[in-house]
Order: sequence, then C-alpha cells, then structure tokens
Amino acid sequence: MGKIERREFLKLAGTGAGAFIATGLFHDRLLAGALPAAGAGLFDEKFGVSKEVMAKLLEAALSKGGDFSDLFFEYKVIMTVVMEDDIIRQSSENVVRGVGIRVLKDKQTGFGYTSSLTPESMTQAALTAAAIAASGARVRPPDFKESRPDKQVYLLEKPFVDAPLDDRITLVKEAYAAALAHDKRVVKVIANLADEMQYVTIVNSEGLMISDARPQVRLGVTATAQEGKVRNTGNGSAGGRVGITYFQRPGTTPKDVGLRAAQEAVTLLSAIDPVAGDQPVVLGSRQSGVMIHEAVGHPFEGEGIWQKTSIVWDRLGQMVASPCVTIYEDATLPYLRGSMNIDDEGTSTRKVMMIENGKLVGFLHDLLSARVLGVEPNGHGRRESYRVVPICRMNNTMLARGEATPEDVIKTVKKGFYALTYQGGQVEDTGKFTFSVNMGYLIEDGQLTQPIKNATLIGTNVQVLKDIELIGNDMDYFLGTCGKDGQSAPVSAGTPTFKIRQMTVGGRA
Amino acid sequence: MSTNQENLKVLAENLVAYGRRQGASEIEVTVVETSRFNVNVREQNVERLTEAGTKDLGMRVFVDGKLATAGSQDLAETTLHRIVDNAIARARLGGTDPFAGLPELEPIQVSADELKVYDQAILKLSPENKIAAAMKVESIGLADTRIKKSIGSTFISVVGSWHLANSKGFSGSFRRTTVICGVGFQAGEGDNLLQDGWFEGSTSAAGLPAPEAIARKAVERVTRLIGARKVESQNVPVVFEPSVTSDLLLGFLAQCVAGASIDRRQSFLLDKLGQKIGSDLVTIYDDGLLPGGRGTAAFDAEGVPTRKTLVLDQGVLKSYLLNTYYGRKLKMASTGNAGGVNNFYMAKGASKPADIIKSVDKGLLLTGTIGFGRVPTTGDISTGAFGLWIEKGEVAFPVAEITISGNLSDVLKGVEMVGDDLELNDTIAGPTVKVAQMSIGGKGAAKS
Repeated sequence: MGKIERREFLKLAGTGAGAFIATGLFHDRLLAGALPAAGAGLFDEKFGVSKEVMAKLLEAALSKGGDFSDLFFEYKVIMTVVMEDDIIRQSSENVVRGVGIRVLKDKQTGFGYTSSLTPESMTQAALTAAAIAASGARVRPPDFKESRPDKQVYLLEKPFVDAPLDDRITLVKEAYAAALAHDKRVVKVIANLADEMQYVTIVNSEGLMISDARPQVRLGVTATAQEGKVRNTGNGSAGGRVGITYFQRPGTTPKDVGLRAAQEAVTLLSAIDPVAGDQPVVLGSRQSGVMIHEAVGHPFEGEGIWQKTSIVWDRLGQMVASPCVTIYEDATLPYLRGSMNIDDEGTSTRKVMMIENGKLVGFLHDLLSARVLGVEPNGHGRRESYRVVPICRMNNTMLARGEATPEDVIKTVKKGFYALTYQGGQVEDTGKFTFSVNMGYLIEDGQLTQPIKNATLIGTNVQVLKDIELIGNDMDYFLGTCGKDGQSAPVSAGTPTFKIRQMTVGGRA
Repeated sequence: MSTNQENLKVLAENLVAYGRRQGASEIEVTVVETSRFNVNVREQNVERLTEAGTKDLGMRVFVDGKLATAGSQDLAETTLHRIVDNAIARARLGGTDPFAGLPELEPIQVSADELKVYDQAILKLSPENKIAAAMKVESIGLADTRIKKSIGSTFISVVGSWHLANSKGFSGSFRRTTVICGVGFQAGEGDNLLQDGWFEGSTSAAGLPAPEAIARKAVERVTRLIGARKVESQNVPVVFEPSVTSDLLLGFLAQCVAGASIDRRQSFLLDKLGQKIGSDLVTIYDDGLLPGGRGTAAFDAEGVPTRKTLVLDQGVLKSYLLNTYYGRKLKMASTGNAGGVNNFYMAKGASKPADIIKSVDKGLLLTGTIGFGRVPTTGDISTGAFGLWIEKGEVAFPVAEITISGNLSDVLKGVEMVGDDLELNDTIAGPTVKVAQMSIGGKGAAKS
C-alpha cells in the first residue's frame, strides 16, 4: 500500500482555511477568563472530577503492576473565522474535552482515553491502560502535592477567549483588505483567524497535580496573484501564545500579514526555477528556523536517542558542527508559538543547550526517555490531545546570533542561492532532510537579484552542521506546525540570517 | 443496527429538529463513533498498546445563506444545545453567500452489503492475534542480516460508524472496518544510513496480506538502498513505482482537481475542463462505490450519494471533484466528494513493470520522495528523492540525496508507459508509470 511514515515534517505555508472543523461567537462562558486554580479545581468544579476520583483512577491504572501512571485532563475550545470572496464565509467553534490515561511498565506504555468524564468510562480507560503490566501488585493512591507553573510565558492581556466574534471579524477583514488592495494583480485572498484556549490538569502516581491555561492564535493570509497566464500564491501569518493586543504591534498588524502574502504572490510572478546543483546558500532569518528544527531538532529528540535510531545517539560530547554554531531549545521565551509554562507531563520547561560552539551537549527528553536513559526530564513531553500519548517534541528551537550583519553575510557569496520563505521541511531518523522553498533569490556578486520559485534544498544533518560558515546578528521566528508519529504540535524556531558553504539545490538540470 | 447505533442516529435527528426550532434555516449534524486498537512493537517488545472508543459530533448551521460550523466531543444535551445556539448567533454575523446551503435530498441507492466495507472478522480479531502479527512482521525482518535496526512495527484496527441527518430530511448511517499492518527498518553503515518500510491496509481481515509478505517487501525496499549515492544533475526519464504514482502524481492531482482549488484559482487546471492535459495512456477515476475500498462510503460528508466519476479519460480532463458548495459556484453538480477523494486511482495499463524498466537506457526508478514541494497553483514539483539508477534497461545502483523537479502538467503529458500492476489497496492508488523526462538535482556545481 505505501511507505511507512517514520518521518517528521513541518508545515509553514497555507492559511488552513477550511481545514478546521469548528468555533464560536461566545467562547464557552462557563470558562471564560477563568484560569484554573492550582490542582484539580477546574475539572472538579466544571466536570465533577474530584481529587478522590483522580486518586482512584491512578489506583486502577496501576492495579496490574505498572510502574507509573499519569492522567491528562484537557478542555479546549478552538474558534476560526474565514473571509473569502469579500464575505465572512464561515466561523467555527470546536470543543475538545476528555482524559488520557497512561501506564508505564519499564519501557512499555499502556494507554486508554475517553471523552466521557463519568467515573465508569474513566475507570474503563484506566483498566485498558493498566493491561500493559500483568503482575497485579497493589498500590497505594498518591498524596497529591498541588503546585502551580513557576512562570508565565503567555500574553494573557485581552485573551481571544473573552473576545466577541466582532473583534475577530475586524482583524480578519483588515488583513483581507490589505492583501487585496496591495496590487491589482492580486486576484484572490483568503484570510483566516484560528484561536484556542487549552486548559489542562496533569496528575500522576508520584503525587504531581498541576494545571495550565494556554492561549494560541494564528492569523493567516493566502493571496494569489495573476499576470497573463502566470499565477502564484503567497502566504503571510502572525500569532503565538498571545491575545488581541499583539495584533496592534508594528510588524504583526493584520495589515502587515495581508501585505506579506500579497507581496510574495506578486514577486513570485517574475520568479524562475533555480538551476540544480551544489552551491553556497544563504538562509534568510524569516523562516529558516525550519532548517534548525529539521536538521538538529528532530534527531535530538529522546526516543531516537534511547532507541538508537537517531544518527547522533552516540555523539554526546563530540564536535558535530562548525565552532560558530550554538543551538538550544527554549520553551520559556515569552509569547512564541511553541512557548509553554509546563510540558504535557507537568514538567517545568527550561532552556536546554543542544550544541554549544559546535559540540553536542544535550538532548531533549520527556519522562519516558529520561527514565530509560537515567537522566532528568527537561520539559519536552508533548501531546496533540488527550487521545494520544506524550512524545518527545520541540518547542522553540534557536540558532544563537553571530556578529555579521545580514547584508555582510550575503556579500560573501559571489554566486549562490538565498532562501526567504518555505512550504515546509521533512527529515528522517537517518538525518536526511529536505526543505521546500516557496520563494528565494539568486545571489550574484553579493546582491539579491532574480526571484526564484520551486527550489528544494537537501542534505544530511551531519554534513550541513559542519558547513554552517557565517551567522548574522538578526533574528526572526516562524509559526509552524510540526508533525511526528501522526501528532501535530505548534512550534516555533528562530534563526539569524546564516550561510552554508555548499548545499544541493534542486531545480532545472 | 444496534441500540447504541440507533441512539446516535436519533441524537443527530433530534439535534437537527432542535436547530430548526431555534431559528436555523438549515442544519446538518454528523456523529462519528470510532473504536480503535493500536499496538506498536520495536525490537520484539510491545512498546505501546492503545485501545479506546470515542464519539464526535460535528454540525453545519445556515441562517439565510450564512454559515457557521461547530464540533463537540461532549455529547451532553445541554452542551449540544448551547453549541447550536452559539452557531446560529454566529451565523447571523457572517456574510450572505448565495451558494451556501445543504444539498437537495437524493436517495441512497446502494445497500451496505454491496459496499463490502464492514467485516465482522475484524471485530473478532483478539488483541493477542493483533500483537502476534505486529511481532511477526518485525521478527522476519530482523532475521535478515542486512537489517541494522527496526524502527518499529504496528498493527491497527478501527471500527467506525457514521450517522448524518439534515433538515432536508436526510438521515443515513454506514459503518466501515479497517486493519493496517506495517514495519520500517534501517540499513547501511556509518553516516550513510537508509530507511524505508512497508505497510498494508484493508477493510477486511482476509484482504490484509500476511505478515510474511509485508515484511519481505519492507526488507527489500530498504536493503536495495544500501550504498546509495548521489548522481550528477541531469534530465532523464523517470519511472514511478506504484507508491510514488499514488503520492507524487495522483495525490498532487487530487489537490489540483478539488473544487476549492479551482474556485480559488489555486490550480493549474483552472479552465482546463474538456481539454487534453495528459497522454492517451492516462485514465483516472474516483469511485466511492468500489466494493471493499478503503475510501468506500454510501454517502459523502454532506449526505450526497457517492458515485464513480471519470476524472481523466485518455488524457482529457472530464471532471473536477466537487462538493455541493463548489459545484454551485462552478455551475456543476456535486460529484459526492464533500469529504475529499473516495477511491482515487489511475486505470492500469498493458506494460509489465519489468518491461518498463527495460525500456529505459539511462534514468531513475523513483521509489520514494521526501518533503513537500508541490504547488497546485502552478503544478510545480520540487522534492527530495531516492531510488534506483537504471542503465541500459537494468537496475545499476541505488541513489539518494537527490532532488527531482518538474511540473505536473509535463508529467501527465509525458506518461509513456503504464504498468499492469495496479492494486486498489488505499484511498489513492496507481500502477508503475514511466515519465518521459524530469530534472534530477545532485552532484556538481550549478551550470549557468
């Protein structure tokens, strides 16, 4: 039937218009503005799941002799507004609610979930998860130690969750109008706003009880421009874990988002295919975090390390990159798309150094990979929803700044390729990656000249890390959605403008 | 229909009636019940075992041509009523769209039995049997000395039932079972590791190939890549293996013939209906009624009966794939594709795959791609690729870390041979296909 998908990918382009099922005029007023109290308060008050019930569920989950169990309670409302053909064509409201129950026994995971929060349904899910173990040991229910996240990395001023639909419509209309008005060659615009608020409570058999309320929003515009028979599509987006005021800031206003999409679509009208072959490549700051995410991030995730399938599993302490390269993960950077106070296993997030001056110094861990390898979990256990198990994931992956100005980086290239925006990227455990460039430029004598479309960059992470030659002093972040094991997760990555000595660029032969 | 199934149908019908009472001009409610079993095995240990049942509800509400949609996993009546009320209020704030609305009522002509997508034998598979299959598919591969590592095997079974009711009087249900089994491996040395694998799926237990067959295919796919290297950048004929035809040709084409892409001017096939866009050898169907098909269903996501649609007839574009909304916008009838493609496939040709390879003097047998690089607006393709190099009609050596680029329009026109090896085992399926020429990007400085 098909090849097996054990590849991680990242999508950047597209508004996702139409992809969302759901949303609402009024957010569920039941929860509006209510940050959950420490511990189980939210699910106790709103859904009748008391601490006593939670303790009993953990007891049932470990009744067959599991080593560890956790419960992940989730309540999430996602709203979207889509503008197309000059009208607000659709709005949606989607309610996600349920609990995922996991049991660990050595390296094995048993898992059950249910959207019904009755004691009967939840107990059934707990017993399903319990079956991974088979010794039947008795366990004592834990004494919960309720705690709160030790930081606040979300912009909760004027959250969308409290906003009327009119406020959302205003943003979408502004973005739509800006794209359409930019150039008469813009023939089609779709603007989409998707916002969500996710409330989670995580409890485990070691007594953890912690909650978090996480906003997430993305304003996206897709514009299509036409001249004669040539047609091209450009994209723009802004957002993160923010509220409405974020869209008043210079650079991330709805107008800015609409303009970026329209400008890309119009510029692409004169773009040509690249000439294939090896050449120096400069990666612009806007979205080139995709490179760091794919080439460095994924191979550093815990499963590939303990399962020894990652190309770098045995390279801790070794020089794996050129000495100018420092790469780290930082979910604690405020307001970015991948920012989190705690991960989905309740571990406090922190900055994790991965490559320091070229040397491999650390990997990303969730509870399972940390248990197996005997190291500390470092806040990278994430899950798409209560219906799937947590896996090791990135949040915000960063390439540290260098000293050159972006212009000086470009100036060092006599003839080469400059990548500005991407459709996405993909990587295998073996380290082989591909990036699809939506728009780039030819570099001739240190200047950006001809716009380029339809380019692909390929390589292996072990090689490209050694080939990073020069790093700029600017920094920008993308809004991405990362796919792994069938789960998607919102992520960001930040890079300066940087130069790679040589990469294979796909195009005309 | 079991009592539980009947209850879900009644739930949908009652919510439609509630919506009408509250002021919706039109309303459609869908309830999907799914039970899923999933086992993951790696290095002969059960690494993860998941079992769960869920119910999800979705709705579309129209008020005077204004659309709002909603979904909930909480099926309590109070929650559902609140969500309907919200949707009606939200719809009123939208814009009037003259094309929005439910499809006209069309009776479902086909009986569930004819579709052959619900197999009791799948319901009766024990967890032990499913785990044993996942263990076996991996152990066979691990016994091969060329395999360096397993990246895991899996066995999945899914039982789904759909209930759809709307205010035009439609109320329908259907059920479908699915089993999937697959495995992936790594091979190679040092920094030059290769990975690939294989999985198979079926709507019936008997239709799923034996673990031995799946394992053999997975092992063959990865071991044939050992020692892969780059080739020089050049233009050559390219042979697509069936899985590549499904993905790169048909999967991309499905995006380009979708009503939304046409209406949004985001397809190179805009205004091409009735025109010759491919070689005579290219005939493509979407068939929602294919007995036993992975995408077979009595009706689509808005209750329109599915059908067999001729999309490309010997290279001529005969139909787009449409739901009611884009059908109305484009002044055409729905093709029963509100949920996307049903079973989208290229008709098989007359050539043996071995003869197709023999016909190539110098070229690439493309066995897989990595990455995105497909732009429906232009038809442009540019993606990472791997496969086997062909010289004088024989497979010479494996290649990796190359790119392949071209345009879907040129690919369709350049189809020179079509294999007789079509297997209708996924929602998108195609045979081996030979394309006259595509660009390979690889070794060597860019020529200007």
